[in-house]
Amino acid sequence: MRIIFSGALFFLLAGSSSCIELTYWPSSNPEEIKLAEILTAEWNKLHPDITVRMQPLPATQSSEEALLSAIVSKTTPDVCSNILPAIMGRFVKSGAVVALDRFKDYKEVIYKRTGPRLARTFHSRDGRIYQVPWKCNPVMLVYNTEIFESLGLKPPLTYGEFSEVAKTLTRDLNGDGRPDRWAMKVSIKNIWWQRLFDFYTFYVAASGGKTLLQNDKAAFNNGNAVRVMKFFREGFKNNFFPETGFSGDAFLDGKVGMDMAGPWAVKYYQRLKPGFRFAFSRIPTPDRREGPVYTYGDPKNIVIFSNTKYPVQSWEFVKFLISKEADRRLLEITNQMPMRQGLAGDAYFADFFRKNPLLKKPAEQAAYVSPSDESVHLVQILDFISGQFEASAVYGVISPEKSIEAAAAQVQNIYDYW
Amino acid sequence: MTTGKEKQDKAGYLFVSPYVLFLAVFSAYPLLFAFYLVFHSWDIVTPPEFVGFANFRFLLHDADFWRALLNTLIFLLLHIPLQIFFSILIALALAEKIFAKSFFRAAFFLPVIISGAVVTILWQKLYSMDAGVFNQVLAVMGIGPVRWLTSTKTAMLSIAIMATWKNIGFYVILFLAGILNIPAHLYEASKLEGSTTWQDFWHITLPLLRPTMLLVVVLSTFGAFSLFIEPYVMTGGGPLNTTMSVVLYMYKHAFMFQHMGYAATIGFAFALIILLVVLVQKKFLDTEVHY
Repeated sequence: MRIIFSGALFFLLAGSSSCIELTYWPSSNPEEIKLAEILTAEWNKLHPDITVRMQPLPATQSSEEALLSAIVSKTTPDVCSNILPAIMGRFVKSGAVVALDRFKDYKEVIYKRTGPRLARTFHSRDGRIYQVPWKCNPVMLVYNTEIFESLGLKPPLTYGEFSEVAKTLTRDLNGDGRPDRWAMKVSIKNIWWQRLFDFYTFYVAASGGKTLLQNDKAAFNNGNAVRVMKFFREGFKNNFFPETGFSGDAFLDGKVGMDMAGPWAVKYYQRLKPGFRFAFSRIPTPDRREGPVYTYGDPKNIVIFSNTKYPVQSWEFVKFLISKEADRRLLEITNQMPMRQGLAGDAYFADFFRKNPLLKKPAEQAAYVSPSDESVHLVQILDFISGQFEASAVYGVISPEKSIEAAAAQVQNIYDYW
Repeated sequence: MTTGKEKQDKAGYLFVSPYVLFLAVFSAYPLLFAFYLVFHSWDIVTPPEFVGFANFRFLLHDADFWRALLNTLIFLLLHIPLQIFFSILIALALAEKIFAKSFFRAAFFLPVIISGAVVTILWQKLYSMDAGVFNQVLAVMGIGPVRWLTSTKTAMLSIAIMATWKNIGFYVILFLAGILNIPAHLYEASKLEGSTTWQDFWHITLPLLRPTMLLVVVLSTFGAFSLFIEPYVMTGGGPLNTTMSVVLYMYKHAFMFQHMGYAATIGFAFALIILLVVLVQKKFLDTEVHY
């Protein structure tokens, strides 16, 4: 009897003294793993009663695939910080994520950091908010400064300027009658996510920050989308964009003078080719515009999964991940932009931008970004747009007007059928 | 009281149980679940919803599916003759007394054991329009570049050539075994009758290779119908959907769009079509030849 009593007492005491353990999944790229290691170590030091165990997202073809598998098998972590907002529709529909409005201070925390305009773009269609806007990688034009300087070129701001710059850049350098340097790298593959970084980015810029959908209807059947499609058609028709795959990075190898990239590229370029000189510029638009031009932000957000036993503690950890100190580490370690209003002018980060002047432009751009639409059909929608992009821009078998019209009709079919 | 027969039965069940378990978990259950999905709409994360025959109705009117089926049949028609022609040719050469025979036998088999993804990536570089080796060689010869993977006219043929290179070793082995099994006295007798090499091939070798031919045709038909990794890596189904195979299309619906019910419907419809094609092939090729 005494043994049973002692045993029960031991388990009770052990239970009361054992700390809470949260699981946190960051992205599995080396920089973000390093950031997560540092942040969780700091948190664990400050909160010995709420231990966070960091585990990079399981390796699959995409983070979304890994997360969907985890939701189905009920093995989601408490917190994950690599959420593509576009996929939130499916997570919300399945009840997999915690609505953050259950926490009294959610509005203050999110709105104060991100700013109401940008924060509202992450509200779900049911009006609630399930994701914490965390970081973005504004997609910008990157150009090889060495080539540009040697040819006396300036980064193009309009489609007309782009055409002029592209004509100068596209050259047959070895005299075999075929170009071996092109203006810009644009993927000709019909892959849905590629369109986020060409057609969609240029559409966001041309339309002043508009996205593809409005109330489950295609909102891109307009002149801006047609102008963007024409821009890419002209590029392919005039051989400004190579019709090929390269071994290695064509931009780093000087085979193209421009590319589309986010601030993450700074570390990537430095790692692969130390000393490589390049700079960021805004996305060209149909006509010259004063003031800011929007771009696709390529955002990644933080969610708390419904499987958690400790939503309150998870929320505290999330607040720690988006604190000013954590944002500074995010900048320093990954070069990605925290979605924090006034980032470029904030005195707290001034020292960082002084030491990293290349990143000043992406930081300014971070205030003018649009996410992709939150829709369970987004992949299929982009797949249709990609098909029309291929038909119109790459191969020119249909006109830009007809391609946009067809893509919009296909989007309507998706909502009608699926 | 257990009899000896009952004991024997139990032992038998015990021995087959691992296989039965494997079959139940990895074949029977997925097949039954796929059949269940045919009548449902399911996006993996929310519960399946019964939709009756809606997936079938959609399939009948889905132009992209029929396009993918046509592409797969085009691949089949390009790939199988290429494969049979070259594998017989190589097998005939390897059956002769040639220098470094073992080396060549191993060399032709080597691509078979290399990962499909690796081979595909390698060929993608060779086919590259602006920087590929093939076009560089053509340029040296004064011939203009070929849009191997980016022209609607050549993309599927380029994939078929690559797939032939990758798989030919296996079929060479099959044909080689078939050729070496042909009794030598048949050739000796025909030589006495004054036959030519071509007559030997046409009247002895080829007819006696029929069982091997049937096996090769059926196996390469299955292989061709399951065309996936090549277009997935090399072209993504393009240009303009001309290399979109049925399996790639099914994958897109299942794992990109999360239309599991529709993907299962494509799978079942496709299985029926394959069955039909194989039955037709069997009818034409499954005849025995004796001398």
